[in-house]
Amino acid sequence: MTFRRLIGDVLALRFVGRRWRMPCFAALGVLAGLGLFLVPVSRAPSYLGDEPETCIHCHVMTTQFVTWQHSSHVEAATCNDCHVPHDNLVSKYAFKAQDGLWHATVFTMRWEPQVIRLSDRAIPVVEENCRRCHAEVIGDVSIAEHEPGDPRCWDCHREVPHGRVRSLSAASDVFRPQLGPIGSVDSEPRIRGRSVRSNRGDRP
Amino acid sequence: MSNDAEPARQTTTPKPPPAWRGWALFGLTVVATFLLGLLAASVLERRREARPPAPIRPIDEMEMDSGRWGENFPRQHDAYRRMLDDSTRTKYGGADPRDYLAETPANVILFAGYGFAQEYRQARGHVYAVEDVTQTERVGPATPSTCWTCKSPDVPRLMGRMGTAEFYASRFLDLTDEITHPIGCFDCHEPNSMTLRITRPALREAFERMGRDVDQVSHQEMRTLVCAQCHVEYYFRGPGKYLTFPWDDGLGAERMETYYEASEFADWTHAISQAPMVKMQHPDYEVYTTGVHAYRDVSCADCHMPYRTEGGVKFTDHHVQSPLLNVEGSCAVCHRWGEDEIRRRVEGIQDKVREGRDRAEAALARAHFDLAAAAQAGAADEELQGARGLVRRAQLRWDYVAAHNGMGFHSPQECMRLLGAAVDLAGQCRVECARILARHDVTTPVRYPDFGTKEKAQALVAQFAEGSPPDLLGEGAGR
Repeated sequence: MTFRRLIGDVLALRFVGRRWRMPCFAALGVLAGLGLFLVPVSRAPSYLGDEPETCIHCHVMTTQFVTWQHSSHVEAATCNDCHVPHDNLVSKYAFKAQDGLWHATVFTMRWEPQVIRLSDRAIPVVEENCRRCHAEVIGDVSIAEHEPGDPRCWDCHREVPHGRVRSLSAASDVFRPQLGPIGSVDSEPRIRGRSVRSNRGDRP
Repeated sequence: MSNDAEPARQTTTPKPPPAWRGWALFGLTVVATFLLGLLAASVLERRREARPPAPIRPIDEMEMDSGRWGENFPRQHDAYRRMLDDSTRTKYGGADPRDYLAETPANVILFAGYGFAQEYRQARGHVYAVEDVTQTERVGPATPSTCWTCKSPDVPRLMGRMGTAEFYASRFLDLTDEITHPIGCFDCHEPNSMTLRITRPALREAFERMGRDVDQVSHQEMRTLVCAQCHVEYYFRGPGKYLTFPWDDGLGAERMETYYEASEFADWTHAISQAPMVKMQHPDYEVYTTGVHAYRDVSCADCHMPYRTEGGVKFTDHHVQSPLLNVEGSCAVCHRWGEDEIRRRVEGIQDKVREGRDRAEAALARAHFDLAAAAQAGAADEELQGARGLVRRAQLRWDYVAAHNGMGFHSPQECMRLLGAAVDLAGQCRVECARILARHDVTTPVRYPDFGTKEKAQALVAQFAEGSPPDLLGEGAGR
């Protein structure tokens, strides 16, 4: 009974002075409205998915996107196939959330370095994903006898998949998909209505 | 809630509106804010579409002031202005005007009788070029205007007005009022297309003599050649002090030696050994061409002015500086080790070259004193000519490495090869001196004076210059 009464008091804002109740409802409405507005503006729903275009919502990742787009991996793997864990759904989304919030912070604060490297946290994740797909190939060769991490796959396969020249400037002027305007809800940016990957080969 | 409390409340205040009305207001505000936000975002986006691109302020063909160019290129100009910081230091370089003579007093001995024994400092950034050249002790009334050539964009303007040869032949101090702008945009860029260009005749002429057209090179090579207008070995040819690069036989130290031997050129006569010496002037471009980065077609600008991206805009970082001050932006673009590891690798290479330099400097200083001792023992000029030629050749090789910036990093193997040759030739010179001394009945060791500090070394050199040198021959040496 007391619990229901507490809920009722909160819902009716009874702890607020009577004169302030209606303005408080309005102010809360503004806050919630702005929060809701951020959903389409930041294309928030896309972050739950696996589309590579999501990663170039911020221009800092253009070089990484373009180098991947011109690599052999474009046919087989997207950003998330390599860069988030795939052992279970919980660890995948926990990792995505943590990485994503960090990326958003860095981008907002203009902290981005000129050369982007894998973080210590990301290194084992990416290597595990190399092994996940290429298990058959590495099964026979001696590298499989190495402890994971010594050496890393990319210590030899140095061009996979982002090339050997790494800088925000390395491929920043090249063709990249244009994102849709944010004035209307458009969570899945495409080029002329088509996914970038299927557009390969008939670029203008 | 008790029943008898209700009437009391009703009598004091009116009944409050039910909670659903509050939440209805809340819901309406949410929808209104959301829609207004979308509208605002859309309006802002459309406004950006309508905004014309920033107007380009036309740049005059002869605009010397980099600030005026910078109005169109604020990012580049802002980076250029950062060269005003003259406190940056790396292990062996940076923009700090470190005193080379205090760090290495042996250099005073090696340059005895020449301006570099008076003052020899690390040059500060390009923005200080005019200020530094007018303040150095190496400039005096006899200095030709050739020394202005690399310091200011006013130089091509004056060359156009006076004629190139006439410019070189004029007096440095006569042009002090005309030359005010430090090295800037005009020196490397066309004013309107921003294409890279060569503004100094010496590089153009040197390329012509090598059978190459400096205007027919790739953009990537231009990103090196604009630097090679100045960061090269040069000399002042003939009485007209015509600025010339000694590249006719090639860019290597031995090829330059052949060139200078052919005309018996000497920058100065050494005050201690009386040997005819050649001063090498920062052959940065020549050394670089022998290194692995040049082999890979990496230009000067790739490391010293790397591309940057800020706010989605890519531009060239015009803060020209040691890559060790920006390892992440320079080296890490291609080399994937951590910054500390890269720095350790570079400094490890430089430490080795520095050690080689130290050995060559010690050998050269002793060779100069050995020659002076032989003269004190009574050897005639003809007798000493061969040994003097050896120290000249040895020091040319050492200086090719020492005068170039980067402590050998531009081409470590070539630098160590030349330092090895310098030590060998200085050793040959000293063996020859020992023979000459023996012929004059001196078999005791030469008494090398103390030149452990810059002041001691300069005082010692002054004694030789005044004709009252210390006695270098041991007690009881037969004379």
